[in-house]
Amino acid sequence: MNGLLKVLRLAPWILFGACVLISFCGFNLNPIFIWLTLLSFVVELGLVAVKKGLVFYMLRRLGEALVTLWLIASLTFLLLRILPGGPFDEEKALPPDVKASIEAKYKLHDPLLKQYADYLKGIVTGDLGESYKYTGRNVADIITESVPDSVQLGIYSILVAYLIGIPFGVWAAARQGTWIDALLMTLAISGVAMPSFLIAPIFILIFCFGLGWFEPALWLGPAYYVLPTIVLGIRPAASIARLTRASVLEVIRSDFIRTAKAKGLEESKVLFKHVLRNSMIPVLSLTGPLVASVLTGSFVIEQIFAIPGSAKHLIQSVSNRDYPLILGMTLLFSALLVIANLITDLLISVIDPRVKMS
Amino acid sequence: MQKWFTLTLALTLLACTKKSLEYGLDIKDTIRINCQTEPPTMDWTKMHDTASHMVSINMMEGLTGIDYDNAELPATPKLATEWTTKDARVWTFTLRKGVKWSDGVEFTAQHVLDGFERLLNPKTGSTYSYLLFPIKNGEAYFKGEVKDFSQVGVKINDKGQIVIELVKPMSYFPYIMGHQATFPIRKDIIAKYGEDKWADAGRIATIGAYNLKIWDHDKNIVLERNDNYYGDKAKTKNILVYMINDYSTAVNLYHSGKLDFQEQLPSNEARGLKTDPGFKQRPMLGLYYYGFNVKKPPFDNAKVRQAFAYAIDRKQITDLLAGGQVPLNGFIPPGMFGHEADVGIHADPAKAAKLLDEAGFKDRSHFPRVTIGFNTDETHQRIAENVQAQLKKNLGVQVELANEEWKVYLNHLITDAPNIYRLGWIADYPDPDTFYSIFLSNSENNHSGWTNKTYDNLVAQGASELNKEKRRQIYLKAQKLLTEEELPMLPIYVQTYSSLISPRLKNFPNNPLERIELKGTTIQ
Repeated sequence: MNGLLKVLRLAPWILFGACVLISFCGFNLNPIFIWLTLLSFVVELGLVAVKKGLVFYMLRRLGEALVTLWLIASLTFLLLRILPGGPFDEEKALPPDVKASIEAKYKLHDPLLKQYADYLKGIVTGDLGESYKYTGRNVADIITESVPDSVQLGIYSILVAYLIGIPFGVWAAARQGTWIDALLMTLAISGVAMPSFLIAPIFILIFCFGLGWFEPALWLGPAYYVLPTIVLGIRPAASIARLTRASVLEVIRSDFIRTAKAKGLEESKVLFKHVLRNSMIPVLSLTGPLVASVLTGSFVIEQIFAIPGSAKHLIQSVSNRDYPLILGMTLLFSALLVIANLITDLLISVIDPRVKMS
Repeated sequence: MQKWFTLTLALTLLACTKKSLEYGLDIKDTIRINCQTEPPTMDWTKMHDTASHMVSINMMEGLTGIDYDNAELPATPKLATEWTTKDARVWTFTLRKGVKWSDGVEFTAQHVLDGFERLLNPKTGSTYSYLLFPIKNGEAYFKGEVKDFSQVGVKINDKGQIVIELVKPMSYFPYIMGHQATFPIRKDIIAKYGEDKWADAGRIATIGAYNLKIWDHDKNIVLERNDNYYGDKAKTKNILVYMINDYSTAVNLYHSGKLDFQEQLPSNEARGLKTDPGFKQRPMLGLYYYGFNVKKPPFDNAKVRQAFAYAIDRKQITDLLAGGQVPLNGFIPPGMFGHEADVGIHADPAKAAKLLDEAGFKDRSHFPRVTIGFNTDETHQRIAENVQAQLKKNLGVQVELANEEWKVYLNHLITDAPNIYRLGWIADYPDPDTFYSIFLSNSENNHSGWTNKTYDNLVAQGASELNKEKRRQIYLKAQKLLTEEELPMLPIYVQTYSSLISPRLKNFPNNPLERIELKGTTIQ
């Protein structure tokens, strides 16, 4: 029974790993497989919540999240109407009658309150409306068609950020004050300071046109995935490395580590078992902001590497004043952020017994 | 544990299929072009953007086309084999026989009428409805004043020809029949799939050299040769269209051999690309101009506008941009009927200063504060800065620059245009009327506030005149009025296209309207 539970606890991570591997090798994931993974994570979260007595807390947080989303939706709606310039203002100006007939078609002549009510009703029933710019395309369709590539890019980058950031941070801390420490931290600071629109062309020049290892743009397989992932992951990796180093140094100096060392435990065991686990708390709490930074960073990366993701819609829909699409994209990105923050809080409570949520 | 692992693995294998690279197209029989962005629609009645147009022009044809081999770009037969008129008011189009749509249905005159009806129907919400307003009762039908389409001046006569009756004579009317918004429409397909959903792969039927095979939204479009095409069949089987926003990215793909044609180049890289064997630069039928808001001082005074025109050397600007743009002093770009090389004001700083003195600004410190408005863009910024410097040097006038986001700027133009505003215009059809009508008193595109009866009359006369020489004279007068006397705007240059065309393509289309019709293009 206990063994089965353990496997169940591991299942989401195995599934997740499989998803990442399969997608990275350039295969299409079956949606059922993705849903299965998501479901297993939800089950896992539920188990954790029950075990830690956090059910009520989680429900409250979910309620708060919904209120936040409602506020964002309303504010966006309002701000869009204040923004000068309408969806059908074009360089070749339309005769007023033609413009009026188009606006009437999209119900832009309804009273504002009615438009708002219709819009909220649409969100609740899952109907985000039709895009003004892309004739006949539903906003929900645009989102579901473009989000997978963005999620793929985002997850790879976050993984890269952790996989590079944590080991380098630990390494630098373990060699504190040596040239390795100095070199790694210089790299980290450059990584934080260099904007991706500078790194990307440099990498393209070196790895595509110089060495010929990767493709300069598009999103069709492993050779296409590597560069955007790394460029997007570099900045968070650098922040993680710096934070890990600081956190590890702080933990190393604490009393219980001195005790562990005094007991005669091996250096590596102390470092990986005691130090690392305890120093991961601040690093994990970075996940929320990390997701935010990957989301915002993906605008530039998707543009430079011509990745058919959803980030460009957020920008272009604003330039086009495509109200339904702007609202849909804003809701999507805010929901992602809210969820990321929620999960981060839960993760911390799992790892750090000192953190009490109620 | 192992059981679970095996299960996961089995699930994994079930869960995936290999992503197909480039839709299994044979690269030796596929032209790869970039249309820059997801086309908003393939519905030709509604489309009004370059991306949709670039794709659609390979799939659809109208009654007329344009003969690019002739320097004057006359209308040429497509679905109509010939057209006749006595007075430029009633036009009779004879339709081509035996034409089939890509789904095998025979093309009929009713399809043309259905296209007209749909374009004029206010429910359609087309941005180009006004193209058919010159037709008798066309505008009334659009406004709902006439409910019955049979009262609109379009008929099929007993010989099966289409007879179109206009409100007043219009010598360039055949060009309108070559505009995509007026193309024939299959109402049966629209009825089957819905007003907004019919123009997608697997549903749409077309008449041109290609049809729509795949539309993978936000990624690619694949066009396939239409074997039912009435003319010479397309030489290359497929066109693969990418939707890459970023110019530099597209150039990278071109260099890595993944793209055959990139229409526009990043202005800061164009210089470096000039040595590329695929680099092509061609002027197009498009203007870049500065409009004056004549409703507000100081530009309510024509002398001030003239002074500004004499003070700005357009050549300096094109030299600065170094993108092949041609300085323009008249209003009609070269390559179009009505272009006159020596019309317009050429830079003359001494004369500029003298005119400004005469206008009552001898003491330059009394010159009002003037703003040049433009939408945020590096090129517009560079031009405005250059103009600012020239005005300072040649007139001793300090102007301010103000940039705004595109839609905010457009809104600003309508509500309260800046003293000087930047705009461009690309010809809808290769007739000077497309340019002259911008500055008609009642034009939505005339943001200058300038109204002039003489000019309006000249443009109306020009539109209805069938005699070429007389027409040229009328337009010459209009052009002089616009660019020498009244100057509601200052022409700056003729726009150009800088493109990369892969040397593996042969017989690539080359025309000043930048219509990329690829049916004759082959791959080596």
